[in-house]
Amino acid sequence: MAMKKFMNDPADLTPELLEGYVAAYPSKVKLVNGKLVCRAEEKSADKVALVTLGGAGHEPALSGFVGEGMLDISVVGDIFAAPGPPNVYQALKMAAEKHVGVLFIILNHAGDVMSANMAMDMLENDGLADKVKIINTHEDIAPGVDTPIEDRRGLVGCVGVYKVAGAAAEAGKSLDEVFAVADKFNNQMATLAVALKTATHPSTGGAIFELAADEMEIGMGQHGEAGTGRSAMLSADKTAEVMATQLIKAVGATEGDSVLVMINGAGATTLMEMFIVFRGIKTYLDTLGIKIGASCVGEYLTVQEMGGFQMFIAKLDDELQAAWDAPADTAYMTVR
Amino acid sequence: MTITAETIQTMILSSATELRSHHEELSVLDSATGDGDHGTTIARAMDAVVKAAQDKASEPIGEMLHACGWEIMCSDGGSTGPLYGSLYMGMGKATKGKTELTGEDFAAMFEEGMATLRKQTKAEPGDKTLIDALVPGVETLRASIDAGKSIPEAMADSAAAAAAGAAKTCDYQAKFGRARNLGERSIGPVDAGATSMSYLFAGFAAAL
Repeated sequence: MAMKKFMNDPADLTPELLEGYVAAYPSKVKLVNGKLVCRAEEKSADKVALVTLGGAGHEPALSGFVGEGMLDISVVGDIFAAPGPPNVYQALKMAAEKHVGVLFIILNHAGDVMSANMAMDMLENDGLADKVKIINTHEDIAPGVDTPIEDRRGLVGCVGVYKVAGAAAEAGKSLDEVFAVADKFNNQMATLAVALKTATHPSTGGAIFELAADEMEIGMGQHGEAGTGRSAMLSADKTAEVMATQLIKAVGATEGDSVLVMINGAGATTLMEMFIVFRGIKTYLDTLGIKIGASCVGEYLTVQEMGGFQMFIAKLDDELQAAWDAPADTAYMTVR
Repeated sequence: MTITAETIQTMILSSATELRSHHEELSVLDSATGDGDHGTTIARAMDAVVKAAQDKASEPIGEMLHACGWEIMCSDGGSTGPLYGSLYMGMGKATKGKTELTGEDFAAMFEEGMATLRKQTKAEPGDKTLIDALVPGVETLRASIDAGKSIPEAMADSAAAAAAGAAKTCDYQAKFGRARNLGERSIGPVDAGATSMSYLFAGFAAAL
């Protein structure tokens, strides 16, 4: 079946979507050298900058969270492909030369990690690498919580890291302090994805995976890579309970604890469904005596028109709760 | 016998043509275990290579190869960028300032390229990655040169070994990249990355 998407030349997808994004939110973001999404108004030099990288095709994706209280620079690659080392290096150099320190947040995917490592090698030659600390997110629990962290992918949890680390940076904390809050959050968060139907790769027009009409798959990756748990379709309540059970176990939350719950739509799953799932999570967590201290439901990291969502849970303490509640003003997350 | 910078440029352009002509097949192979865009990514990287090879046509071999590597890395191709980019940059490092290569130089160029690429990944032979084509390709090239064969003969042996290495990946379980999440379900199809690497070698050999 022919692809049915609003687009021009497939080769221009990424530059055109970025031009459109910054044109739509000129008070928040600007484009530097075509592929770096930067804040429209730069943060002062005495504060730690947050830099991240990732492929396009997942809009709003990482670049949706550039702005006050969250990211400073998002380095964009191409559709489902990490940016090359030269652009990543340029972003890190810009940030490190201007700011007191840089928190560099990398989602654990092979291409992202390779580009990040090469960019850090280049930065080393400039003597700037000491100003950068790295957070590698790897909160996907689909391969199992005992799987080595280098084999676990970074999914929507990066948005939570941007938020809590961004709050610390905005408050004028040192690089070590910003790193510490990000690291704490990173170590007590977990994500599980579920997919219902495939998406079309916008460059090739091909389906990115196959799934039978009456099946769902828990553990699907950010690009639709197959997961491990195919099953017959379950109800919203049952899906919520199956997934939340694993996530709560992974983060080690027990009665009396407070958690952040995020539902991230994959692109073709309606808010109606996501709210019904969220209701299921709330009901389930109530039975465990676990409080929802913060929550959000929407589309953050999508996979084109894939059906499904990512469920994210992180354990909160007073410090993380305050960081989550601190002001943010980005195109796709605002807290006042 | 030696080969000139002009021949190296012909090899680079030939491999780009070879890879671009297979881009649809590579994307289909990638869709078995990945997200189905390897051919698109490779085609974009090869566009960058062609541009660099033409821009640097009058420069020494090492400078031309280095430019190819840098442009590949600028093409934002996920893991393809750092891997192919460092292969070319390593080949360029070994041939810096040279305008012609002996058989020994030629083998050393591929060895340095492979060593530079392998700094970017922990993948070993058998892990169902491009390493499964690269390692036999480079090792066979070295063995044929050491056995006294000409550069074209050695490159032909090398391309055959790379193709055989890629073909064997159907028996392997993926240990790296997105495909590793499939576990045993990754056994069966050949690896897209190993296949593209074998086409790179085939393109080099076809030019000689």
